[in-house]
Amino acid sequence: MSLFSIDNMSVIFGGLRAVSNVSLALGEGEIHGVIGPNGAGKTSLINAVSGLVPIAGGGIHLDGKPLHTLPPHRRAAAGIGRTFQHAEIFPDQTVIANVMTGGFAHRQSSLLQDFLGTPGKAAAERQARREAEQMLDAFGLLSFCDALAGDLPFGTLKKIDLARALVGRPRVLMLDEPTSGMNDTEAAEVIAACRRIAGEMRVTLLIIEHNMRVIMGLANIIHVLDHGEKIADGTPEEVQRNPLVIEAYLGHGSAAHA
Amino acid sequence: MSDFSLMGVSGRAVIFGAALLLLALALPPFFGSYHHYLASLALINVIMAIGLNILTGNAGQISLCNSSFMAIGAYATTYLSVKLGLSYWLALPAAGVISAISGFLLGFPALRLRGFYLAVVTLGFLEVSQILIEQLPGITGGVRGISSPRPALLGHTLSSDLSFYYVILAITLATLWCAYSLLRSPTGRAFEAIRSSEAAAQTLAVPLAQTKLAAFVISAFFAGIGGGLFASLVGFIDPLEFGVWTSVRHVVFIVVGGLGSITGSVLGALVLTVLPEVLRAFKEYQEFVFGGLLLVVLIVLPHGLVSLGPKIRARLSGGGATKSVIAAQRSAAE
Repeated sequence: MSLFSIDNMSVIFGGLRAVSNVSLALGEGEIHGVIGPNGAGKTSLINAVSGLVPIAGGGIHLDGKPLHTLPPHRRAAAGIGRTFQHAEIFPDQTVIANVMTGGFAHRQSSLLQDFLGTPGKAAAERQARREAEQMLDAFGLLSFCDALAGDLPFGTLKKIDLARALVGRPRVLMLDEPTSGMNDTEAAEVIAACRRIAGEMRVTLLIIEHNMRVIMGLANIIHVLDHGEKIADGTPEEVQRNPLVIEAYLGHGSAAHA
Repeated sequence: MSDFSLMGVSGRAVIFGAALLLLALALPPFFGSYHHYLASLALINVIMAIGLNILTGNAGQISLCNSSFMAIGAYATTYLSVKLGLSYWLALPAAGVISAISGFLLGFPALRLRGFYLAVVTLGFLEVSQILIEQLPGITGGVRGISSPRPALLGHTLSSDLSFYYVILAITLATLWCAYSLLRSPTGRAFEAIRSSEAAAQTLAVPLAQTKLAAFVISAFFAGIGGGLFASLVGFIDPLEFGVWTSVRHVVFIVVGGLGSITGSVLGALVLTVLPEVLRAFKEYQEFVFGGLLLVVLIVLPHGLVSLGPKIRARLSGGGATKSVIAAQRSAAE
């Protein structure tokens, strides 16, 4: 029994089938990769899981319970976390405030307590700050705590995005090109972090990645999308040998070079 | 660096605030009634600006009807205390709640609209509230207005402007406390999140609809309290007090002071309430000088008066260094 599954899901924009009858299933603590040429529907796939775009058919299940009937914030509260390709960090907030926002699902104070500034709220706030600081420390970002997020370089923002998502204690975490825009050192840190997240924290990872070396070394299972359809899945070795995959990539690759 | 902090506010800011508070408590007896009245008006404007800034500066929802919630608070306080004989100290919070409920209702169309469209809807709300004030003379006194007496405290009517000033000061401090607590809480961070990126906010479990409604409710509550105080301060209210120009003034307070900043709300409201009085010295050029000063502030300090301190500090510490480091890091990342 898988922890998380996408079942026969389709996403349609106007007349375009961005995602067409895609199914995949992830077990707890597994790392799955999603690859495919530009426009293959990778980001649409995770946007649909988050609920940011509507699905035209099929379903999404976590622990056997349907997610696709819930609004986006309830899906997040149920345990679906994600990061963004362009790290949707709140630029005029400090780094610590950004990461503390990630803990919204586990907030310990009510709206009224927040408004009145009760001692209980103050304690909850200190606790939330400690958790966020620990997470930033794990990414070596503790010194950036009080920096304005908008002043930081892109690679750092990507790590903050990841830390922010993790503070929400997701059960399934979807990462949209976590190493894009990073130098080799930063990318290596993120890869190591992904292994820890899946291994120690038992968070299931679904990773979109363009860098083949990164994803082939990281994922247990790779799903290959092309024109919205899943054309292959399997271990990295299997996928690399699959003629359909080679054709999809070479075809697009030669077109790009032409 | 500061050694201690209170609710996340640095020690230096706390000391500075305490010094200001001492002045606000100790100085007024040495001034006259006109200055007490002006200071009271300035503090009420601080309350109005804080409420609007939470809605617009923090939660990103444009509103041109802050004066309508002020009106609801003013008329509700007057009606409850004069016509229904309720104690002012119950009527005022009740008026805040009535205003908050109105804010909740206005919040619903705001769930579907943003930017200019939302601004137009809030203008419509302002028009409707103006018409209601005029058409319900039994409650509001209609276009002729209604008088709103000063409250009594411990058997003494607060008829002197000095005594009422202290009441308004206390309520302004309570407003500051609530606003600071709110912005350093999950709710406050949710406001910032929906303003910055609705998509990211939702994927962090922040509910869009509830969060927007909460911002409208809280903002309207503050405006309602400010309106109730305003009615008793001026002693007489009519619909003209709560027209679109008043709403626009509130928007100017927060833009000039600093969007999304409580300190900005305070600075904007205080400076822009007191400045026109100071500029009376310029006689017929008063409005001209006022407009010119506004333009200068917005050109020199596009992030409002609140950015003046950091800007001076950056200048003194040989500024620009951090900026260039960041720029270098940015270009390296790309």
